[in-house]
Amino acid sequence: MAKIQPPEGSRRGLNWATGAFCAGMLLNVDRVPSWVPVAALIFVAWRLMAASRALRLPGVITRSLLAILLVAGIVLRFHTLNGLSAGTALLILMGSVKLLETRAPRDQYIVIGSAVFLLLAACLDRQGLVHAPLYLLHVWLCCAALAVVGYGSTASSATASSSSATAALFDSRAAMMLGARSLVFALPLALMLFMFFPRLPGAFWAIPRSDEALTGLGDSMSPGSITQLTSSYEVAFRAHFEGSPPPPQERYWRGPVLHEFDGYTWRRTARNLARMQPLQYLGQEYRYRVSLEPSAQRWWFSLDTATGSPEPNVAFTYDYQLISAKPVTPGTNYTLVSHTSTRASSPLPQLSRRYDTELHGERNPRSRALAVKLRSGVASDEAYVSAVLDFLHTGGFQYTLTPPRLGFDSVDDFLFNTRLGFCGHYASAFTVMMRAAGVPARVVTGYLGGEWNPIGRYFIVRQSDAHSWAEVWLEGRGWTRVDPTAVVAPARLQRGILDILPNAVSAPARFVWSQPWLAALLQRWDALNTAWNDRVIKFNYDDQLRLLQRLGFESPGAEELGWAFGSGLVGWMLWIAWHVGRQTRRTPPDKLARAYTRLCKKLGRAGIARESHQGPLSFAKQVGELRPDLQANVHPLLLRYAQLRYGPAEQDSYAAHVREFARQVSELTLPARAAGTPPR
Amino acid sequence: MARWIRKRQGTDSLPLSLSRRRLYIIPTRAGVGFGLVLVLMLVAGLNYANSTALFLTFLLTGFALVSMHQCHRNLLGARLLAATAQPTFAHRAGTLSLIFENPAAAARFRIAAAVGDGSVTPTDLPAYGRGVIALSVPAPKRGVVQVDRLHLITRHPFGLFRAWTWVHAPIEMLVYPQPNGSLPMPTHHGSRSGARSVAHTGADEWLGLRPFRDGDSPRQVDWKAYAREAPLLVKEYSASGADLRMLDFGVLSNLPLEAKLEQLARWVVDAEDGGERYGLILPGSQIKPDRGPEHRHHCLAQLAMFGLEDTQRGEDTAT
Repeated sequence: MAKIQPPEGSRRGLNWATGAFCAGMLLNVDRVPSWVPVAALIFVAWRLMAASRALRLPGVITRSLLAILLVAGIVLRFHTLNGLSAGTALLILMGSVKLLETRAPRDQYIVIGSAVFLLLAACLDRQGLVHAPLYLLHVWLCCAALAVVGYGSTASSATASSSSATAALFDSRAAMMLGARSLVFALPLALMLFMFFPRLPGAFWAIPRSDEALTGLGDSMSPGSITQLTSSYEVAFRAHFEGSPPPPQERYWRGPVLHEFDGYTWRRTARNLARMQPLQYLGQEYRYRVSLEPSAQRWWFSLDTATGSPEPNVAFTYDYQLISAKPVTPGTNYTLVSHTSTRASSPLPQLSRRYDTELHGERNPRSRALAVKLRSGVASDEAYVSAVLDFLHTGGFQYTLTPPRLGFDSVDDFLFNTRLGFCGHYASAFTVMMRAAGVPARVVTGYLGGEWNPIGRYFIVRQSDAHSWAEVWLEGRGWTRVDPTAVVAPARLQRGILDILPNAVSAPARFVWSQPWLAALLQRWDALNTAWNDRVIKFNYDDQLRLLQRLGFESPGAEELGWAFGSGLVGWMLWIAWHVGRQTRRTPPDKLARAYTRLCKKLGRAGIARESHQGPLSFAKQVGELRPDLQANVHPLLLRYAQLRYGPAEQDSYAAHVREFARQVSELTLPARAAGTPPR
Repeated sequence: MARWIRKRQGTDSLPLSLSRRRLYIIPTRAGVGFGLVLVLMLVAGLNYANSTALFLTFLLTGFALVSMHQCHRNLLGARLLAATAQPTFAHRAGTLSLIFENPAAAARFRIAAAVGDGSVTPTDLPAYGRGVIALSVPAPKRGVVQVDRLHLITRHPFGLFRAWTWVHAPIEMLVYPQPNGSLPMPTHHGSRSGARSVAHTGADEWLGLRPFRDGDSPRQVDWKAYAREAPLLVKEYSASGADLRMLDFGVLSNLPLEAKLEQLARWVVDAEDGGERYGLILPGSQIKPDRGPEHRHHCLAQLAMFGLEDTQRGEDTAT
């Protein structure tokens, strides 16, 4: 069997392979240390200059030294070769060193392969709607590069003249067209496989992610240490409600519940012994879907209060919080049912009561004294809650995101000295006051409100919507939400934080907020992105089954998925075979030739076959000899063909003449052998 | 394998359309590598439930399958119109010219051919166009070289697959004996009465000029006249018996057979180049004096086939 093994790949193939590699590098350029692309570009320039004989390529020793040096550089920077960023950097550097020894088409194929791997690395990191077109463009570029390298790999030892002629036939444009056409043919299969190729329910191994700081609510809160609360405009999650959404004052999104207070910091301490209080769910039922953005935390947010966990590996804790077993790094979708109004159906167990009335030692003595005084003045816990809220309302407190730093006894300092704070201060102080009077209370952190997106019909909840409030146990009602911030800054409930404190977020976000058209545009973009994320990026095994169900399968499972997948594959293969095969069929090149072929066939049926060497004129002569009776009909047509084909070009009306000729051929009827003509 | 395919396809006759039945296709090494890349991408995409990576994997999978069909299509329906080999001298490589035709509206690229397992040479066929591949065929010794198996391959487009076919058409290349030997050309021959020997100084009788015909020796063209923008003319000399040479096998008595044939070939070539009239006498056959390329071929062919007619023919195959 013959092997195609030319010594040198084509220059054009080298250029294209290098181009594909550089494009792959560009997709990843902001995720690797900046010296990596710089080094890679130097090697690329080196290779291209060597190709135009300006420089010599390095030898084996230089290349090996370079490779060792670069790997060492990566290890020094990342302390590992494992992980997405380190792996990507390694891929870029090794690909560019490979470029230095690229000679044969085989090496060019390897460079294109590394460009495809760079695409994979980019995909693993980012899959936004913005990136999808870039990825598609890169795939196109890689395919065109394959075409050029493939063309160059079949060595042309023919003469120079013939190779220049073929280069004109298959130029870069033809390669791009070929790549695009092949990808368009591949698209139906890609869509079909995307929908029906069985997905895995879980992962084999986790991706070692590095140095990507993901924001989110933490599991502790110490308002006294914060002097400047900067909130980011980043999205925490989005919520689609089936039916009408809850009113603004009910849009509390429950996150971590904090129980333990040391006088300065609230902590979420796991109380494994506590039992969940059974709840009676009252009022309207809200069914909604949450699209959670990636975060380093394990919290799944729910509208206060959820009825249960959406998934087995997400715990529904005794304080009605949803905690996943793993961090929400890839982001996720889940559907929940919540009621905004609940009642406890049994009394609080002693253990829970003890936990949630605990105050450490002797901290915050003035607040305690105040609490005891206020409690003694009222008859019930409910009245006491009102008294404390009244104290906050009338005590000259102000809502601010730039509070002064608080002292050792943070609550005392806040209540009696500074009187400036944000939600954390108020929730903390209120809860301490409750506990000091023996009322079980805890701090709940989460989000309040959210921006309504009218295009996608969902709420966008951002990090800037983060909030904290208090929950107190009232006999006969159970855990009751009390938001002390609401009495100080009632507007916070109704509107977003930006309305009351525009300086809460960064300048660009403020600018967006101040321009309604820009905000509307961004909302549209967000809606599009969300649809993309929900329908495409988070498409999983369950969605596949749902899709099958919609296609008419009764109770779809893996088997049905396999059937849909197999039949789609076979159908596509048949279509491609038919479509591609169609191009090989023998067709005369133009309309004129087709008409002439028809004419010759007609004459052949009448007994006058044209020899393949005969031109129209000699054929006309033969017709005249064989069938003088046909001459009047056929002769002008054959002459007309010769004139149209070989005569001077009639530029303006040529197409019309050809059409007319084709029509005449179609209308020609050849009479059977005329009587009296002797057969020959 | 080759024998099985030969039996399956039978002997072909030109012109030949490459049909579905005779085309074979397998992935190349680059294609296997591409497949490995796809498997890796699939595993990564599935593991991380990464929809983008999965979609692009599927897109490239489709792309590879499309490229398989395109590769197959690139050969399918192409026509091999003719395969002709010009005679050559022994110990030199001959040239086998293959003429391909593309009867379809889509161009075909990088259709390559090889003799047996030899190295390949590609050509491109534009829509409805033709392409020629010139293959070098080694000619180890005089006689006939039979090319009984042609290998047509393509890896276009993308080089991920290789489609190929074998063509078993009876193609023969005549191999003249290598012109060799340093004996002087016989100057006299007595078979024709009254012939006188003339040293080949070109003392021929000037006859005149006539228009150039295909096959005329460039030495006889009147280049000076051509330089004066006259049409291509050929100087004609009378060779009326003056420089007639009969190249006789019989005079080379003390040489082995092959050396005799090589010496005769040398003389034929030299005589033709000198513009002389010459004839050939071999045991059992004789060629009357004449000149010109056809005559030269006739003589050399006689030398090539001398003594081989039945015994050796068909043994020297190039595959």
